Amino acid sequence: MTSNPPLKDLKADINLQQLLEAKSLERCPFPIPSGWFFVDYSENLKPGEVRNITLFDQEWVLFRTEGGEAGVTDPYCPHLGAHMGHGGKVVGENLRCPFHHWEYDTAGWCQNIPYGKVAPPITKKQAVLRALPTQERYGLIWSWYHPACEEPSWELPAIPAMEDAGWGGDRRGSWTANTAIQEIAENGVDFAHLKFLHGAAGIPPAVVDFEAHVISIDMAGGYIVGKGYGPGLNVFEFTQEGASATMISYTQPITGDKSQMNMSFRARAYPEGSKQQHVAKKIIDHMIGAAEGEESAGFESVDFVVWNNKKYRPKPLLCDGDGPILQFRKWFRQFYIADPKLLEKV
Amino acid sequence: MQEILWMAVVRVTTREGAKLQIKALPAVPLMEFLRDGSAGVEGICGGELSCGTCHVYIDSGGDPLPPRSEAEQAMLEAIAEFVEVRPSSRLSCQVFVGESTTDLAVTVGPVA
Repeated sequence: MTSNPPLKDLKADINLQQLLEAKSLERCPFPIPSGWFFVDYSENLKPGEVRNITLFDQEWVLFRTEGGEAGVTDPYCPHLGAHMGHGGKVVGENLRCPFHHWEYDTAGWCQNIPYGKVAPPITKKQAVLRALPTQERYGLIWSWYHPACEEPSWELPAIPAMEDAGWGGDRRGSWTANTAIQEIAENGVDFAHLKFLHGAAGIPPAVVDFEAHVISIDMAGGYIVGKGYGPGLNVFEFTQEGASATMISYTQPITGDKSQMNMSFRARAYPEGSKQQHVAKKIIDHMIGAAEGEESAGFESVDFVVWNNKKYRPKPLLCDGDGPILQFRKWFRQFYIADPKLLEKV
Repeated sequence: MQEILWMAVVRVTTREGAKLQIKALPAVPLMEFLRDGSAGVEGICGGELSCGTCHVYIDSGGDPLPPRSEAEQAMLEAIAEFVEVRPSSRLSCQVFVGESTTDLAVTVGPVA
């Protein structure tokens, strides 16, 4: 007759933790990271427009002044809490609350109280409405998110493919992933999954370098070369048969467990009808997942099923041949400003 | 039964010159007793130092009142554009009576 061994013996033999984690593991134990993040395309926001958006796990009011400046602020008026995205208006360079017509500029300073004789002294000293540092680059609106409202600690880089003459391409894509931004980004250093999930011919050799807020990746000896700037911007150039195409990706943390992946695809303005033009188009088709007869699958068809269902293992069981996952996580942790207790799970 | 709270009687002169005696308790800003005692003090912002509507002149007593904070100073400077602010000016939301407060007399100040 056999019986189960007593629990304490089991414990001595194996790491029970590893077996019993399924329920306690979380899908997205991460806070919203700090950094520059895409808000919307510049062309989508007209002067005078006011819109409510959800980003960084809260609602914001996005507006463009009559002079053309974009602003991203807390929705709730510091005065009596009205939601300025419901009935608020752009007046000149300010956003005006519908309730008592207090006005705020794009930096969150109160610029007008139309009836009080004496403005509260704090309004002369500081912004009273939370406003995210916002700028427009590459035809995109960007906001700096920091949970404690600290000023940007790094600047958006120059992206020749988006800003310089001699480049073209207006193809874009946008996809919703039901996971946190770190989980999406981690695939960028998970080189082994390219073979097994995507069906690439082999695990591409790769060189990864982490420095300050920038991660640099050179995959397959120059086939894919690029950089990530903080959690919200990646620029990768794909080179094949003497032609290249660039993917600029700018994922948004919508909530803690929902991310919107956005990409622009650009290439040099190769001569019309040239082989290079054809190759560049094929590379982009492949990135988008619209290519036919490809040997490996684009991210759209295979990554989402993993992202949307996986749980995050803070202590993963890795083997040789895995990419620099833990180094990536350590690098990414710099963007989290949160309670150390919470960060233990990250 | 021992239910006697310590209490101060503050002599108040209203803007119209009427003389009142208003009872004040410790740990509650004087502004509230002036406001609730119909002394003509509005105290709109509730002690946040953003409205300047509880301006008083300290006529006598009240020492040792703590000095003005930076925020109280800023509010007094803001109303000084409209009304007379004197060395004895205080925002009564920042004034608390205590056991060492004796013979406090205030005049309700003008507001913007």
